[in-house]
Amino acid sequence: MNQFQRPLSRREMLGICKCGFGSLAMLSMFGSLLPSCSGVEAGKNQLLNQLGAGPIPPGFVPRAKNIIFLYMDGGISQVDSFDPKPRLAKENGEDPAKKFKMDATQFGDVGKILKSPWEFNRYGESGMEISELFPHIGSCADELALVRSMVSNFPEHTNANYFLHTGSGLQGRPSMGAWVNYGLGSENSNLPGYVVLDGGLIPPGGLDNFKNGFLPAAYQASLLRAGAEPLANIKPLDSIAGIQEEKLAFLKKRDQHLLNSMDGNDAIEAAISNYELAYKMQASIPELTEFKEESEATKKLYGLDSPDPNTRNYGAQCLLARRLVERGVRFIELTCPDIGGNADRWDQHSNLKSGHERNAHAVDQPIAGLLKDLKLRGLLDETLVVFSGEFGRTPFAQGTDGRDHNPSAFSMWMAGAGIKGGTIYGTTDDYGYRVVDKPVTIHDLHATMLHLLGIDHKQLTFRFGGRDFRLTDVHGNIVKDILA
Amino acid sequence: MGFRFLRQKSTWVVAGLIITIALFSRCGTDASAGVPDTVDFNYHVKPILVQKCYLCHGPDESSRKANLRLDTYEGATALLKNGGRAIDPGHAANSMVVERIFHKDPDQVMPTPESNLKLTQQEMAILEKWIDQGAAYDPHWAFIQPDSSLLEKKYDENAVDYFIQKELEERGIKPAPRASAESLLRRVSYLLTGLPPTEKEQQLFLSATNEDAYVKMVDYYLQSPRFGERWARHWMDIARYAETRGHEFDYPIQEVWRYRDYLIRAFNADIPFDQLVREQLAGDLLPKPRLGSGNENESILGTAFLTMAEGTHSPVDVRKDEADRIDNMIDVTGKAFLGLTISCARCHDHKFDPISAKDYYSFYGVMEGTRFSPQPVNQASKQQSLENLKGIQEQVKLWAHQQLLESGTTNVLQQTNNQPATMPADSGYQVLGNFTGKELDGWKSDGHAFGKTTTLGDPVFNDQFQLIGIREGMASSRKTALGIYGALRSPDFTISTNFVGVEAAGRESVIRIVIDNFQLIRWPIYGNIEQRVNDTKWKQYVFDVAQWKGHKAYIELMPGVYENHVFVQRPDSYVDARYAITYNNKWVEPANKQPAVTALNRQFKKRKVEPAIQALLEQESQLRLALRDSLRFFYGVTDGFGRNSPVFVRGNHQELSADKVPRTFLTALGTRSNNLDVPGSGRLQLAEALLEQNNPLTTRVFVNRIWHHLFGRGIVETVDNFGLQGKLPSHPALLDYLSLSFKQHNYSVKQLIRTIVLSETFQRSTLPVAGSKEKDPANIYLSYFPLRRLEAEAIRDAMLAVSGRLDTAMYGEPVPQHITSFMNGRGKPSESGPLDGAGRRTIYLEVRRNFLDPILTSFDRPIPFTSFGKREVTNVPAQSLILMNDPFVMQEAARLAARLDKMGLRNNEEKIQWLYRTCLGRSATKEEILEANALLANLTQKNSRTVWKDFVHTIFNLKEFIYLN
Repeated sequence: MNQFQRPLSRREMLGICKCGFGSLAMLSMFGSLLPSCSGVEAGKNQLLNQLGAGPIPPGFVPRAKNIIFLYMDGGISQVDSFDPKPRLAKENGEDPAKKFKMDATQFGDVGKILKSPWEFNRYGESGMEISELFPHIGSCADELALVRSMVSNFPEHTNANYFLHTGSGLQGRPSMGAWVNYGLGSENSNLPGYVVLDGGLIPPGGLDNFKNGFLPAAYQASLLRAGAEPLANIKPLDSIAGIQEEKLAFLKKRDQHLLNSMDGNDAIEAAISNYELAYKMQASIPELTEFKEESEATKKLYGLDSPDPNTRNYGAQCLLARRLVERGVRFIELTCPDIGGNADRWDQHSNLKSGHERNAHAVDQPIAGLLKDLKLRGLLDETLVVFSGEFGRTPFAQGTDGRDHNPSAFSMWMAGAGIKGGTIYGTTDDYGYRVVDKPVTIHDLHATMLHLLGIDHKQLTFRFGGRDFRLTDVHGNIVKDILA
Repeated sequence: MGFRFLRQKSTWVVAGLIITIALFSRCGTDASAGVPDTVDFNYHVKPILVQKCYLCHGPDESSRKANLRLDTYEGATALLKNGGRAIDPGHAANSMVVERIFHKDPDQVMPTPESNLKLTQQEMAILEKWIDQGAAYDPHWAFIQPDSSLLEKKYDENAVDYFIQKELEERGIKPAPRASAESLLRRVSYLLTGLPPTEKEQQLFLSATNEDAYVKMVDYYLQSPRFGERWARHWMDIARYAETRGHEFDYPIQEVWRYRDYLIRAFNADIPFDQLVREQLAGDLLPKPRLGSGNENESILGTAFLTMAEGTHSPVDVRKDEADRIDNMIDVTGKAFLGLTISCARCHDHKFDPISAKDYYSFYGVMEGTRFSPQPVNQASKQQSLENLKGIQEQVKLWAHQQLLESGTTNVLQQTNNQPATMPADSGYQVLGNFTGKELDGWKSDGHAFGKTTTLGDPVFNDQFQLIGIREGMASSRKTALGIYGALRSPDFTISTNFVGVEAAGRESVIRIVIDNFQLIRWPIYGNIEQRVNDTKWKQYVFDVAQWKGHKAYIELMPGVYENHVFVQRPDSYVDARYAITYNNKWVEPANKQPAVTALNRQFKKRKVEPAIQALLEQESQLRLALRDSLRFFYGVTDGFGRNSPVFVRGNHQELSADKVPRTFLTALGTRSNNLDVPGSGRLQLAEALLEQNNPLTTRVFVNRIWHHLFGRGIVETVDNFGLQGKLPSHPALLDYLSLSFKQHNYSVKQLIRTIVLSETFQRSTLPVAGSKEKDPANIYLSYFPLRRLEAEAIRDAMLAVSGRLDTAMYGEPVPQHITSFMNGRGKPSESGPLDGAGRRTIYLEVRRNFLDPILTSFDRPIPFTSFGKREVTNVPAQSLILMNDPFVMQEAARLAARLDKMGLRNNEEKIQWLYRTCLGRSATKEEILEANALLANLTQKNSRTVWKDFVHTIFNLKEFIYLN
């Protein structure tokens, strides 16, 4: 796509008007640079330094404009999904301690080696092996770059979630979506640049997974969900239509008067225009979450006609994600649906078979639908889709029919913008317990995601408490082999 | 360290110039234009070195390039390999630095092109001139002692005005006139108490015409109980105040709201700040704790400051978890009191500040030697009974031992602890504590329950008041009486065996093996290191610790149990223990003294007590009964055993330096009593070092915080960072004056606030006079009062106050968090709190880490993970949406409308005027009344029943309602 055909992004804007920030304040209220906020002020200067001095290598054209992050909450089992291990079947029921050195697990209740309850099939021209849990995603195999050698630093959900989302296992750091918006800004002045679609489950660690941390609050995620009230306080509570407009008209007059009497004041001025945006959002957000103009075929593609309510739920989130991409929202994360029963997230400490099956059924068709729909509309070229949990699971049982957490190996995949489809990267041992070749860390994942957006992860910094912080801390290598 | 931290008087002649220079620097005007006549190291040169050079030529050895350091005079002037010098003082032309920064060759020029750092023409000129002028390396400004003559000088006016005026005059900036009376009343009311002025207060102060009316008004608000509620919250931002642990399940931090109440009381009673420093770091260790109104120990509540870090649910690597928790304690302590980012030195020497990794691990040792512990809060009333009881028991014991002497031997009482007769073959076997002798075997007895010795030799009487013998030796939480707090904890030991064993008996009590100070013990990983004791017969409690070999641990016995991380002690809870061992295969009892006691008791002929002793015994049983009660606890700290920590190489807890770091206070600050290496944690010594005369930081940092809260920006803008990366002070002499004066006035916070608020500077209008904005666009020199948005708490409290819903009840358990449909996740409370927080001030609302209030968070109340001395002021649509559509705002609007309705006002104009006064603290203008009437008419057309509610709601949405002018 010719990058000059789209409206100027803030990055480009910054390049053009290095001395005048006033106009930028009005460019976008979400994740935009607002006057009156000294923290942002600092960010501004930093941004100016970075963007002026060039984190983007000369001549480099960003491949991705947007990211859709499909978060597989709870830790999907790699040996049951994307990393087939025939040896588990052969040694099913044997004592794992006799086979390999084992780390402490979170629950300690270590059982025998447990074979996968599912068969693996080969898909696409690449012949990628994917478990029968994901027939629909399998049909998109040639779009995927599958990384079978992910490692995390934490075997507990919360630390691992913070790590995956913020690059640090501790609470309080900015989320990747916040970093992306801090770096690039939103391309839509009527919508937030970082949206989390609430499928029903907020991951362990809570909303701090999606927060701005020490970045200005403007960069935090907005939580959107399906239903009558997609966003908090988006519905006017006024008794009758038109009352709000009366109020706003009065406010505009009086606030403008205040502004004039102050001989101009950036903070007040920005707060006034903030109201105008909020007013517009009251209409634009519900419009977004209703699928009136979507065709039946499209809805079907996403599984909105499924008898499984969880498939319908996740399908709606996926369709909404596409609509957000169309509107220029930079970073969209989908959380998992609340399946209920003993299938809380992908976290099957017991009942692996039914739990993974129900979770897979909820997300498989919608995700494949999303990939196909994006492709059909020419959006897949500029949208990076990432599918990952916070860690993997053990190849041996917890108790008899579950699997415990395993940060030493798990699988994730990416598709879309800048990704070499049909690629498999990295290898685990014969049991899928540890990575033996080409380990990819969370920092590497972040570095790669930022790279595809055209950001050098080493240059995207924010000064806080006397230190320049990065999403990738002091780590991170781009995984070049999976890039097109 | 190359900095010479000598005591020296600072001079601020050139201080102001930096700002002017900064204004010019960006647009790249003629280089010489912004170069001062006399170049000052701190104000002109160092910012350049820090930003552009230190990354490769600074204090951190590991990242240093070409073996050149420019942060010290010695380093910068050392002879280089090529024979030259980086800096040749007095000779810029001979200095390599100058050659390289002006170099045209990209391979030679400094900073290197890859660094993305670039010197401006002006910066280069400054460096050149500084070298020509001798290249003086002054110590960092914040580490230099303030000039005490600032205090001796006589100031004609308020000293604040003197310093402010001086800078304004030098720049030819005209100050704004005084603000209106209405505006000042609203300003003082909000900034001192966080609430709008009430109708009564408006009547009281707006009509007053006497000269001291303003002073009276200020004093009134300083005395208001609401004062503490506002200023406590400012400090809570720094203390990362939260009532739950966050992480996966958001466990509670037991009754930590008592710390909030402690702060409110402290600010209201104007407790000197130095006392608050001591209490927050070492309130449990003060020889004479401060007592509250009910004689309860007030000082110890301060220690919650150390305990409010997030807490991990079942960390698999518990050592790393401890390191992270301690890091947070160091981070917050360093920022709060010193304005230094000490935790930057966790992995390497600080890249900019003279803080070494050794300094960091000194602090680490202090925190590691600190143990977390529930501390009782309602024992004070019993203190006297307890003392009486102990006195009686001593007398009785003395009498009984006299009887024993007369009847034969007492040497059993003198026996010491020992090993088993034959040491088991088990190589790891060790007696960790044997309480069958007289002593508690080096274990620490916290509180009063276990006393200072075992029960060995305590006399036993039957109910006919006959002495029938003595008690065997054991550690017992009921030694004195049931129902009092106590904990018995072993010294730290390293786990090297499969099992730890404790022989114990008791009721509703607990034994815990605390590994690496980890407290949130529970299944799945940690379930087996905590056992309840609920059997009054002796039992062997076995703890399987095989998976923790190599870890540091201590054993803890307490007469109570943890219920979901809340410690509960019932009136009858107790725990007795005979000994604790560690072993691999077989439980072997250490040799014990009980047979000797049994023999003695068998021989002993019971005797009737004397009447005087009988009276004492009767008194004793009454006192025991009176003491038996349930206890309340908060989560505080107690001292462990002194520990020095090794350095974690590159911050890795698995890679330790060979030598341990003796605990020492930051060496760079030049304080005299630096030693923290004492038998306990060293926290009290740390507090004293912070407050030592020679440490200029603690008071500077604090007075700057107060200034920041009053003007919206500190004299040092980076309120939590006074290090080299922080901003320079805009008014250094004023900062020092305030700091010295603060100390002189015995650290009185109210006095400090009063001085500032009474200044003319504070009373200026927010409207700049013509020309001043051009000369000082950012209003650094305060020619007018900075307009600002109110904080989240003030906005919410104001709505409650004007609606009449505000309940000014103080203190106590927090009001549960209101849970909206958007708040989900693990640890979600089963019930939502009320939408309006029961009308209580925001400071009394619960702070749940994983369920932070969306309204308060949207209006920038910080996320409680580290110190935030300065809040962001953002502008996001969520704020507008809240004010437009949130049910809370709507509800308060309806309440205010109902209140208005009852006022009996005659017409719209009166109603509008009343609302303006109530909500905005001023009368409406004619124009405003006109427009308001028009709005009312339009609203009436739409829906006549909700007109006033809609009108009030509109007022709530006026910018003026949430801004302070």
